[in-house]
Amino acid sequence: MSNLLYLEDIFQKLRMGYHLSPEDEPIFSAVTGNYEAYAAQFSLLGLKLKRHSRDFFYFDPDGNDGTRETLPRMAVFSYILIDHIANKGKPIEEFLLTTPFLVSQLPHLSMDRYRDLLRQVDVEDEAGLRLIIKSMERLGWAKFLGEDEFRFLRPFHRMFDKCLELSEKSPNAKTESEFEK
Amino acid sequence: MKVPPQKFFNFCAAQVPLLRALNEQEGEVSESDVRRLIRSTSSSDELPETTWKRLAELQILVPVEPGSDFYVMAEQVRRLLSYLFDEANAATPQIISGYIDSIEALDDQLSRAIEVEDLFGARLALEELQQTLRRIQSDLDQTHRSILTEVSRYKTERGVSVREKFRRIRHWMERYVDPIVEMVRVDGPLHATFDETERLLQRAREHGLYNDLPGLERNFRQLRLIQRHALRIFQQCRRELQPLYDSLRRASFIAEGAAIALERMQREGVTACADAVVVKVLTLRWQHAPSDPAIERAILSVAEYQPVPPPLLVLNAEERMPESYLRRVWLEQLSTMIDQDLPVPDLLEWLTQHFPEKDTDSALSGFTRLIFAPDIAVHFTENQFRRYETSDGVLEGSPVRLTRA
Repeated sequence: MSNLLYLEDIFQKLRMGYHLSPEDEPIFSAVTGNYEAYAAQFSLLGLKLKRHSRDFFYFDPDGNDGTRETLPRMAVFSYILIDHIANKGKPIEEFLLTTPFLVSQLPHLSMDRYRDLLRQVDVEDEAGLRLIIKSMERLGWAKFLGEDEFRFLRPFHRMFDKCLELSEKSPNAKTESEFEK
Repeated sequence: MKVPPQKFFNFCAAQVPLLRALNEQEGEVSESDVRRLIRSTSSSDELPETTWKRLAELQILVPVEPGSDFYVMAEQVRRLLSYLFDEANAATPQIISGYIDSIEALDDQLSRAIEVEDLFGARLALEELQQTLRRIQSDLDQTHRSILTEVSRYKTERGVSVREKFRRIRHWMERYVDPIVEMVRVDGPLHATFDETERLLQRAREHGLYNDLPGLERNFRQLRLIQRHALRIFQQCRRELQPLYDSLRRASFIAEGAAIALERMQREGVTACADAVVVKVLTLRWQHAPSDPAIERAILSVAEYQPVPPPLLVLNAEERMPESYLRRVWLEQLSTMIDQDLPVPDLLEWLTQHFPEKDTDSALSGFTRLIFAPDIAVHFTENQFRRYETSDGVLEGSPVRLTRA
């Protein structure tokens, strides 16, 4: 039997799609301090424990076909927020990861374009937005600080990664890479 | 037309807000635009019509072409106002390149003057050189200040999108900083030209063409100072812009990615493009996992497994010779067997007596084989028919005699 600390707790969290970040002490420190051993342990079950460059952990979803129905909602929610912040000229990552937000003051229901997208995933009001944030909380991407207030956690970087991936695949990406030369 | 300085500055002193507003106009302005600005900024008792006339008389505004209704602020006035309002303009690579060309031309002039010991020509070249060096120094300072202003503007301005900011900072890097750093670096064209200038100044001193030694020393110092200064300033500019550039570049790509995702979801519908835009997350549900008793059963099956020896294969199962094979062998041997009995008066009699177990079919096959055997001669007779019994029938025919061929 393995003597890795909190192994069962860690597995129970990760298997549900949770992302371990510094908010999850003491198990986060346990994994950080002994990542290879945990990764080896989970690999026996065919699971790949990933360590993100921003230092958080999750199970690699490659080959996992089961897409939760909450994921498209979270995607719509996140893209809208990133778009809004970018249009305001704020530093996207810094602003999103350091600023507490109020559900009642989110931009999602302020524009028709955003509302139409949310309607596609059956979100019509603040209660719907709150449910999305709850889903994110279950993945370790966000954390409610009160009834209305929440903030994003480090694993929200996965959304930024997705944005970068989409941008890289776009036809304009070539121009950007040419500029880099 | 010469502009009276006192009149010019008196007018300027009374019309500072108007001049500032005109200075902020980019490109051409129409007469009506100027009149509107006069009305909105006027703080003196002067009539708007008089102000308009003075702007033209004092050559503060000049028509873009003769007779045109569109005007631009005279370049000299714009420079003066930029200086007065502390508005720095960045030097473009073309400006720096122009200075380099100008110094190269002065170097030629100085070189010729040294050759022919033309004291006057050398003095003129040196004076112009000093002027050019002062301009370079001033432009470098202005560039530094304008980049610092731009950087602080990026940090404080609101309402400009991340992508727009990135486009602008990219413009600064591409248009100003990177090309100018290339020019002013140690192995770049500015240093090469300055080195040549310094060499010529040394020669001028050695030839005693220029007796103002402190002036020459000043030129040397200025040349070296500007070389160092130019490189330092543009490296600093790069250092100021680079972190902003990096962070805005990343932010711009993130913004672009989000915009692409939103646009796609709008166009195709969220469900249709979910695979492409959603961040995947692994979820293991219990129904996917085997239960504990199942695992236990599997482990027990492995642990209690009793190996069974593999079955032995009977490799010589076919012990009985096949009939067809035996028949073939018999037929092949017939000619050898009959050979010792030759001559044989009646072939069928020989066959049925020697091989009574053979059926009619085999007897006739043996008959045919022996008839066509190469070493045997066959003699068909017309003797009386005889009966020959095989194991399964009776054959009738005249005897056939065989002899050795």
